[in-house]
Amino acid sequence: MTMLQSLKNFVRSKSIHVAYVDVGSCNGCDIEVLACLAPRYDIEQYGIFVHNNPREADVLLVIGAYTPGWEEKLKGLWEKIPDPKAAIAIGNCPISGCLFARPHTLVDPPVAKHIPIAVQVPGCPPRPTEILSAILSVAPTVFKDYEVRK
Amino acid sequence: MTKRTVDVSIPVGPVHPCWKEPARVKCETRGEFVLSAEVELGYMKKGIERIMRGRPWQEVMFLAERVCGICSVIHNMVFIEALEKISAIPVPERAALLRVIVNELDRMQSHILANFSYCYTIEHETLGMYLLDTRERVMDELERITGARVTCAYIVPGGVRFDLRPEDALHLRAGMDALERDITRYMGMFEHGPLIALRSRGIGILTREAAREACAVGPTARASGIPDIDRRLRHPTYQKLGFAPVSREEGDNFARIMVRFQEVLQSIALIRKCLDTLPEGPIRGGGIPGAGEIAYSGEAPRGELSYFIKTDEAGRVVEISIQTPSIMNIEACCHYMLKGVASLADVPSTFVSSDPCIACTER
Amino acid sequence: MPLSLVYYAKEFLRGEWARKFLAAKTAPLEIPPYFRNYPELTGKTCTHHLFCMMACPAPGAIDVISTPEGWKPRIHIGHCIRCGLCVEACPNGVLSSGRILESMFYDNTRLSFSFRIDVDQTKCMGCGNCAVACPVNKLIDAQMSHGGRASTDDLLLKVSEGKCKVLHVEKCTGCKTCEHHCPNEAIRVARLLEAVHAPEEDI
Repeated sequence: MTMLQSLKNFVRSKSIHVAYVDVGSCNGCDIEVLACLAPRYDIEQYGIFVHNNPREADVLLVIGAYTPGWEEKLKGLWEKIPDPKAAIAIGNCPISGCLFARPHTLVDPPVAKHIPIAVQVPGCPPRPTEILSAILSVAPTVFKDYEVRK
Repeated sequence: MTKRTVDVSIPVGPVHPCWKEPARVKCETRGEFVLSAEVELGYMKKGIERIMRGRPWQEVMFLAERVCGICSVIHNMVFIEALEKISAIPVPERAALLRVIVNELDRMQSHILANFSYCYTIEHETLGMYLLDTRERVMDELERITGARVTCAYIVPGGVRFDLRPEDALHLRAGMDALERDITRYMGMFEHGPLIALRSRGIGILTREAAREACAVGPTARASGIPDIDRRLRHPTYQKLGFAPVSREEGDNFARIMVRFQEVLQSIALIRKCLDTLPEGPIRGGGIPGAGEIAYSGEAPRGELSYFIKTDEAGRVVEISIQTPSIMNIEACCHYMLKGVASLADVPSTFVSSDPCIACTER
Repeated sequence: MPLSLVYYAKEFLRGEWARKFLAAKTAPLEIPPYFRNYPELTGKTCTHHLFCMMACPAPGAIDVISTPEGWKPRIHIGHCIRCGLCVEACPNGVLSSGRILESMFYDNTRLSFSFRIDVDQTKCMGCGNCAVACPVNKLIDAQMSHGGRASTDDLLLKVSEGKCKVLHVEKCTGCKTCEHHCPNEAIRVARLLEAVHAPEEDI
């Protein structure tokens, strides 16, 4: 890998665009992601920009337990995100289905069955601090050696 | 050849930068002018009511909380109070007031979040961030009392789970003073900001008659001059506290946001009153739910929330159906407010001003 | 122009400004002590009452396993919703989370369990699977025959006259083994949870 590429990847890992998609959660994790924007946690000081536009995102935050309404749509959304990309599962729902993984439910967890998940943040809902540290932990690995891997 | 304006149908959503949750609004437009709008839901259906059947209260309580993550306390409260009504379980005075405190804190954070979303949608990010920072302080108080930020699981049959400690009561009182100062300031900023007025006054008007016709509830209806829609007027603890709802007459986006600001101030006053009159005593009365059926409703931050519950002798939920406030407000928004909005840029802000919560609409 | 340069130099070369700029700080990102985090072991002895598992509202969040040091509850992260009911339900204080244990001590509160067994007599076939499977019955009468019939009346469940009878419901531990072994869904165990203040003599 050339010097230029590694420099580029270093700079890219310091400016991450984040999109979030709610595939059937209770809204609790949604607002905890929103709370990360608050001046107290201030997600933008780490160079993370919550944009909610999949076409320019690097990291996709998946929230929720995968309802039937998202079949085919989530896959399409994931393909619209340009490479390199990573998905983070926020909350218990995408990991195990949380309380909804019971008989007669409509959801189909885990989300890892449908798109590749890089990091999981357990908790119902996780604290903004935990979400922040998860995004920060995935940031250096998304872009590292991207050209080589490709 | 002359230029012709063609009617176009523009879908907004389901993944939209301004929306926290997936929903699709299809707008029929002529140029920028919105002729009519139709909402398309169905991305969040989890089948909570199906899961709830045949389960005891300690499991249904947590599922009820997860109907809506923003206003989780009121779902918990309405479900538990319905069970208490069924089997005549008494609640100690102190526990009843603690419930009101936690419920009002939850309402405050929900209203502030709704106002943040609106400010963010009309691109007034400064005020939005101020509000979000204020919300964190409300969350701190909630966390101090209940031990969790969002899904508090605070209310149980016959009482509450944790007592309010004296040092937390002091912290809460000081927090309320600071919050009142801040909210009054932000309210002034919102009220007198000329650019905010351009984006909000006279846009998305829901008249009083239309609000009645669409069965709008909560702050959306109170902004259109229907104050008696508030279910807190029928709650015995609120009646004792001398609760009187706020309302405005304009019925536009501005009025809806201002009603929420005023309700935050009102909640602060209610919490102060609760703290002043909080008696010493037990916080739990015990009691096991029994058989019966009831329809019970309470006032969620978004409006009237009602539960219909049928239980068997062991207290298991046999039949349950939940009616959440957002569905009426979304209908009112799409069929009355969005019709005649002059610009497509105002569609997201008008939709957000009615504070839609898709998670609890679809459950 | 030179004046503004002087102004900027004066403004930005102040030590205070430079310190603030280089070490910008928001609120510390730590978890406050009053937050109900995942339950942790306090080191007290677990007596295998399994009340934590019975109170837990999340599927698959907690189980109690046998280790060389004795029984031990184990929390499954990714399933646990941090509600803290297991901490409150435990009669021995084996688990702790946030300030829950402390609050229970100050407020003198606890969750008490009682159990109720309903047998639907129209559905019951009298096969005796429930009585044979019941772990409480096994301790009292290890010789119980396969039809669920026994001579002693000390049992929790027993089949007599072709129907299942509940004799001593107070002995039930709420394990729901009978429910799982019933071929006809005739027997149902209800775990009744009651939030109470502990009676005075318990202190």
